[in-house]
Amino acid sequence: MHLSRRALLYAGLATTATAALGGTTAGCSVPNGSTGRNMTLWYWTGGLSDKVVADAKKRFTDISLKPAQIGGYFKSKLLTTMTGRAYVPDITGLKGEDMASYLPNAEQFIDLRTLGAEKLKDQYLPWKWAEGIAPDGSMIGFPIDTGPVAHYFMPEVFDRAGLPTDPADVGKEMDTWEKYLAAGERLKKKVRGAHMVIDALTIYQYMIAQGTQRYVDEERRFIGDHEHVRRAWNMAIDAYERGLCSRYQSGTPDGNAAIENGLLPSQIGASWVAGDLKLTVPKTKGKWRVAALPGGPANNGGSFLAITKSCRQPELAFEIVTWLLNADNQTRGFTDATLFPSTPASYQQEAMRAPDPFFGGQATIDVFGPTAEKIPIAYHSPYDYPLDQAVSDELRNVNALGKDPRRAWKDAMAKCRRIADHLGVLT
Amino acid sequence: MTGVGAAPTLGAPADDGVRSVPARAKPRSVLGHWRLYLAISPFYLLFLCFGLIPVGFSLYLSFHRWDGLGSMEYAGLSQYRYLLSDGQFWNSLTNTLIIWAIATLPMLFIALVTAVMLNSAVRFKNFYRFAYFLPNVTSVVAVAIIFTSIFSTNFGLANAVLQGLGLDQVAWLNTDWGIKISIAVLMTWQWTGYNALIFLTGLQTIPSELYEAARVDGAGPVQTFFRITVPMMRPIILFTLVVSTVTGLQSFTEPQVLLANTNNTSTFAGGPGNSGQTMVLYFFQQSFDNNDFGYGAAIAWGIFLVVAIFSIVNWRLVQRGEK
Repeated sequence: MHLSRRALLYAGLATTATAALGGTTAGCSVPNGSTGRNMTLWYWTGGLSDKVVADAKKRFTDISLKPAQIGGYFKSKLLTTMTGRAYVPDITGLKGEDMASYLPNAEQFIDLRTLGAEKLKDQYLPWKWAEGIAPDGSMIGFPIDTGPVAHYFMPEVFDRAGLPTDPADVGKEMDTWEKYLAAGERLKKKVRGAHMVIDALTIYQYMIAQGTQRYVDEERRFIGDHEHVRRAWNMAIDAYERGLCSRYQSGTPDGNAAIENGLLPSQIGASWVAGDLKLTVPKTKGKWRVAALPGGPANNGGSFLAITKSCRQPELAFEIVTWLLNADNQTRGFTDATLFPSTPASYQQEAMRAPDPFFGGQATIDVFGPTAEKIPIAYHSPYDYPLDQAVSDELRNVNALGKDPRRAWKDAMAKCRRIADHLGVLT
Repeated sequence: MTGVGAAPTLGAPADDGVRSVPARAKPRSVLGHWRLYLAISPFYLLFLCFGLIPVGFSLYLSFHRWDGLGSMEYAGLSQYRYLLSDGQFWNSLTNTLIIWAIATLPMLFIALVTAVMLNSAVRFKNFYRFAYFLPNVTSVVAVAIIFTSIFSTNFGLANAVLQGLGLDQVAWLNTDWGIKISIAVLMTWQWTGYNALIFLTGLQTIPSELYEAARVDGAGPVQTFFRITVPMMRPIILFTLVVSTVTGLQSFTEPQVLLANTNNTSTFAGGPGNSGQTMVLYFFQQSFDNNDFGYGAAIAWGIFLVVAIFSIVNWRLVQRGEK
């Protein structure tokens, strides 16, 4: 048979294609999770205490534990790896703010209840435990840290404004947002150039965080126009209209300079903000105190560990996870990496009760501990994030660009409905 | 691996050629040059793997809903329908075009003037070339951090200068136009030297007789610049314009780092009023913040279309002047 050039070309292409496909099938034999000897653990810098992780390596000698700090945008790297179905870590960190987006895909992770997680439940904060549970009831996230929110303030500046300066008094006398704003009026009158809140968005976000509902309910209905959102929005607008919000943006050189000069003597933030303050405005050491958040406890941040479906030794992985995150090691996580424990037993331990010189020797655990224990169990939907963006963007337009608040609310709701509709949320 | 496996098969035409002698006389066909094709094949194989397949996949993705982990759901043209009616996408397109216009046009002009000066300066020539190119190799993140300080409202250098001149402060990173101008200035600063070097190369190909003739005819430096330098440089200007269009329309890092704040909001939002949100930032926000990969893919194709249209328009405009 005469072989034409064309046929030859096809044959050549076919060979190449076979070789390429051979490559891909070979790719499938790439270690998909543990090989029995290795166990990979993915987390991000500061996501776990490095010392505790190093100890776990020494302790669990049946396998070789391979911890890896994944830099950059953690969620997208994890998603890509899991979608690629190769080199998937056995144990992985899941960031708190991304948790709601993992829950609908619970089948990608091992249900920790099957490994006996329920027995440990009462050692952890109940609301935090609930956040790791998917709608189908399976538990995919084991609690690492939490981010109880508090009111950081500068007593020296508060004193000049005739406001209380003792943390307990501040907590009591500013226990509602109304009272907090009233104190803001006083501060504005007495201290030139000072503002109570950095921007209106801060009030809005923490009021939402204090509630149990956000933008979408369990039945996948849009509830972003309900009372709980309106109330937070109105309070934020009220603060803005009374001139209590600055036009600084947090994290910018302007914002940091204003904090250093005592022009923003009140900062609302999670427990980890203490670390940010120490880093960005070190000169203010000793000038801060911590009080309870106006309007009740709230949480911002805090992560989870999960075991992926690729893990071949889930029991051992679970043993590692629970050891890494037991009360003693969570206390160490707090001292090493300012990870606020999700284990109430830690709050009584010596290491956490140590006075903090940055806060004038205050034992800040007296504020953070009780807050962490009283945070309400809230429902987080995977659709909350884009909807929150639409509302937050509009609130920033009001605060920074002077947009008419009524127009902004209408625009925010119109945007939300469009987004919700696009995402398949019932409006 | 692939190459080695394929080689003997592709080598076969040589035997084929022995049997049918007249074929030898013909100019060598594609397969006759198999060694050359083999030599350049790694690029094409890599491009196929990491370029073409992802491009095809993103097109496929744009007709689906996908959160990145679960199963894909066919959505037909709904992503594109939503894109067309999405105010935020159009806003990001307008932002990109405005920032591109106020960055690129001054940038290319300054670069050309700089190149002409570099071409004639005698002393420290290499030092200047190096100095002008330096901004381009500096990490954008580092640059953006410096620029955030420069454009700070109360403690920034830009406002200190304005106040020194007796002018009012501008809230650079807190107003619609302030944000756009800040990003444009950053991009201009970064790319002027790069374009100047390309122009410099072009300038050196212009025969010096032309300039000598012009000088004899009594042309001044401005006349020489607009009558000789610019027309002779047309192809190079076209090249830089197209490259700047493509990079300008895809700007991402500059606004992202300049406007990222720690205030719990998306670092892809582009500042107050989404004033600095470029198309690629919006694409990132939808795909990686919102886990809406299907819609993200649709946005990516929207961006592709815009870049393609602008490149063609650019080309046409400059070509027309040639006639």
